[in-house]
Amino acid sequence: MCGIIGYNGFRNADRVLIDGLKRLEYRGYDSAGIGVIGKKLNIYKEVGEISKLEKYIPSLDGDLGIGHTRWATHGSVTKENAHPHLSGNKKIAIIHNGIIENFKTLKEELEKQGVKFRTQTDTEVIAHLIEKHYKGNLENAVYSALNKIKGSYAIVAICEDEPGKIIGARKESPLVIGVGDNENFLASDIPALLKYTNRVIFLDDGEMCVVNKNSISIFDENNKEISKEEQLIKWDFKDAEKSGFPHFMLKEIYDQPDTVQRVFLGRISEINRNINFPEKVVNLINNNVSSIHIVSCGTSFYSGLVGKYFIEKLTDIPVVVELSSEYRYFGTKKEQSLVIGITQSGETADTLAALKEAKNSGCKTLVVTNVIGSTATRIADAYILTQSGPEIGVAATKTFTSQILVLFLIGLKLALLNNRIGADKLYEHILDLKGLSKKVRQVLDKSEEIKEIAKILKDSKSIFFIGRGINYPISLEGALKLKEISYIHAEGFAAGELKHGPFALLTKTTPVVAVVTNDSTYDKMIANIGEVKARGPQVIAIAEENDTEIEKHADYVLRFPSNSSILSCVSIAVILQLLSYYVANLRGCSIDKPRNLAKSVTVE
Amino acid sequence: MKCVILAAGEGKRMNPLTFTRPKVMIPIANKPILEWNLLNAIDAGIKDFIFVVAYRSEMVRNYFQNGKKWNINIEYINQGKALGTAHAIGIVEKFVNDFIVLCGDTIFGRKDIKNILKTNPSIGLFKIKNAEEYGIVKTKGKNVIRIYEKMEKPLSNTINAGIYHFDKKIFDYIRNTKKSPRGEYEITDSINMMSKEKNTEGIFLEEWRDVVYPWHLLDANEEILNKIGKNIEGTIEKNSTIIGNVSIGKNSRIMNGSYIEGPVIIGENCKIGPNCYIRPHTSIGDGCHVGNACEIKNSIIIKNTNAPHHNYVGDSVIGEECNLGSGCKIANLRLDKKNIKVVLNGNKIETNRRKLGVIMGDKVQTGINSVINVGSIIGNNVYIGPGSIVSNEIRANAKIV
Repeated sequence: MCGIIGYNGFRNADRVLIDGLKRLEYRGYDSAGIGVIGKKLNIYKEVGEISKLEKYIPSLDGDLGIGHTRWATHGSVTKENAHPHLSGNKKIAIIHNGIIENFKTLKEELEKQGVKFRTQTDTEVIAHLIEKHYKGNLENAVYSALNKIKGSYAIVAICEDEPGKIIGARKESPLVIGVGDNENFLASDIPALLKYTNRVIFLDDGEMCVVNKNSISIFDENNKEISKEEQLIKWDFKDAEKSGFPHFMLKEIYDQPDTVQRVFLGRISEINRNINFPEKVVNLINNNVSSIHIVSCGTSFYSGLVGKYFIEKLTDIPVVVELSSEYRYFGTKKEQSLVIGITQSGETADTLAALKEAKNSGCKTLVVTNVIGSTATRIADAYILTQSGPEIGVAATKTFTSQILVLFLIGLKLALLNNRIGADKLYEHILDLKGLSKKVRQVLDKSEEIKEIAKILKDSKSIFFIGRGINYPISLEGALKLKEISYIHAEGFAAGELKHGPFALLTKTTPVVAVVTNDSTYDKMIANIGEVKARGPQVIAIAEENDTEIEKHADYVLRFPSNSSILSCVSIAVILQLLSYYVANLRGCSIDKPRNLAKSVTVE
Repeated sequence: MKCVILAAGEGKRMNPLTFTRPKVMIPIANKPILEWNLLNAIDAGIKDFIFVVAYRSEMVRNYFQNGKKWNINIEYINQGKALGTAHAIGIVEKFVNDFIVLCGDTIFGRKDIKNILKTNPSIGLFKIKNAEEYGIVKTKGKNVIRIYEKMEKPLSNTINAGIYHFDKKIFDYIRNTKKSPRGEYEITDSINMMSKEKNTEGIFLEEWRDVVYPWHLLDANEEILNKIGKNIEGTIEKNSTIIGNVSIGKNSRIMNGSYIEGPVIIGENCKIGPNCYIRPHTSIGDGCHVGNACEIKNSIIIKNTNAPHHNYVGDSVIGEECNLGSGCKIANLRLDKKNIKVVLNGNKIETNRRKLGVIMGDKVQTGINSVINVGSIIGNNVYIGPGSIVSNEIRANAKIV
């Protein structure tokens, strides 16, 4: 994920750009750059935070420019790989957020025609393509270039020969136009604009815009001019980083239609039916993996448990999930076994220690994390990023769903490498993944129903969460979320385990949240709900949309979109997150900063 | 010649009225402060305006649009973050040559604006009694020597009025202006640099009305209402009495038994009466209802607000969409007749007024027979239960039962 900003107006562009980039820093900050057209086009880039770039640029007199803050996905973190990228003649500069899937083919074609590449990024291809199509009109050149590109992008382009305009275009990556007076803006996100204007136009997929100082033209995917309404943003300035949500946690829950998609952007290719991981990762897991240990803590531990179900189901490789703090001292560390550490921050001390122990014992170590350049990425042999963007709420939400999807991709890759699934089966899974974002959105659309259930739960002293199979760890996570932020005692159980002990705690005033999916566990779950009901508690079932039976058994039902796939656990996780959020909110808890907890636990 | 009007400020000292509107959009005599300024500047012959906006800029833009309604051109520049007056003026550099600057929240007279237009560079000065709150100006002959920050014991009673005439040269001084001790780029610092190098004339103003705290709105309201004429567009039922200069807007109905003593302005679509008493220096905005057995005096009622039965409102400012319950009354005079002190944003402030009722935000509801004490400040969306007695500062969304 990267941040983009463009400015065309009367202020000093460099100041506006730096200012906007600082507001976009949450989208990534391993390197940054700006390009400003004054008398000519000047580019400045720097590795590190925006403030570093700010110190380095001289005072520029241009009033048009573009800026970019990068979170590396293709190509390492270097000054060269930072945006903006230039065309061969250095007259056109572009910034890009997204992934160009066919960039290798395009690069080879261009190289054959004698184009010299300066960087390892996929973005540079676009700059050269625009130059190739440039005949004195930048928007036409951008339009032609984008026709060649497959993948996702938000791009912004400027050209020294046409110093009065900025071109923006988007597909599957965000881009919004900020409408000002005698000035206009482009940005990945509204907070970058709010200081200067609260009037915006949202671009939709496939649309392109020409942004002049006093006018804006928008074109559809057929290059036909269209008109779009400008919208007024009514958030307060201080709410800006939360995109208007009252808490970071809620914002992050609502990020998920986007973040689940970002997990597989650039990693699944429909065309050659493969899962693409960095070479280091592939080498690591391609080598007779006989057993897997997943080590992690807290929410990451539960995503590990979900991953166990995925990986074992897809590959038959036995997976042991252990708490980092336990594994470090007591886990078996066989040489050549694969140890996967999961840590959102990449700095979790327990997990780092466990990884070090594993590495010293000759295990192969792989890390799933959200933060590039974190300690974990340096300790492990290889790493995979969840690409979720910064998570600020202490209670993990979007990174949980992203982690389980990364583990799903690892399972798929292992299955492919070991010839356990064929291209057709893989294709089914890819379609599943692609449909996930929409399903999560459908769940979010039902937040009002979830709020009603929260009203029922808010005064409980204790709440149980039960599920079977993959929904057992999902129940554990549901309980953890609730207790973390609402301070209500909550426990997750495998539904079959209730009768082996926990029943003793069950009273009329202990509501039970039961996850019921239409699979081989369905009848057993119904039986378990019956057992619970017999003891008096209220049962809130989380069930599929087309499940008409469930009303007869449960007191309340929350629905998720019917989906026979094992990925429905993602939608369920989102329901449980919202439920916890609303309960905590009704209780007036400090949601983003629960008592006694820290986002990144750097002590053992 | 362009006229730059600084209209970006939030006006924290005007809370709670400025939580929902920028200071320049607070109405006095049923027109925003900014409009009074604009009208005077138009009268002085100016056709091209630049409004420097920021806080809730959409309200300014929606109201004034491009200025066609007044046959003028209005351009808008968003200041972005408010970094001080020098910053606000600095950002219009590319849009002006010879220009005057008005602080949008101070009302200037037509003749004074004309005088400032004649001399470049020049600064408007005004003499007042209590100058502690303003920048003090030292002059020599016609020229300004230096502007000082506000002082506890002012050197003189000549203050910087907030109206200027500049040309392109000011921008060089603005570029060299450093942040002041209070962390802003102040135009007074730029002017002090300029006045050392070239003659900068000080021009004394005849009229000047600054509004800092909400109760100052009542003074400005009184001044403006004293100048209005009689203009009746609404309908007046039999047995109503209208005395003096009273303006009544379209579709407003004055019902039987109402007694209105001008100067009073009543907006459009209002329902007044029956049997009510409206006393001098009262502005009632559009869509208000003043009902049976109510008395309103020396007050501003902004818009869509009801004082429907058995209410007394005196020396008060009441926001939009408020509703006073039957019998809710507002005290405006201490029994010991002493000056009234107010608590605003937690600070106790001397108002130098013997009479002051309430400053009430938007969407406040008061219950029947509730009592609001002198000098109360009531935030937006406050709910005051039946029979409650309210004094001092009540924060937004509070419920008083």
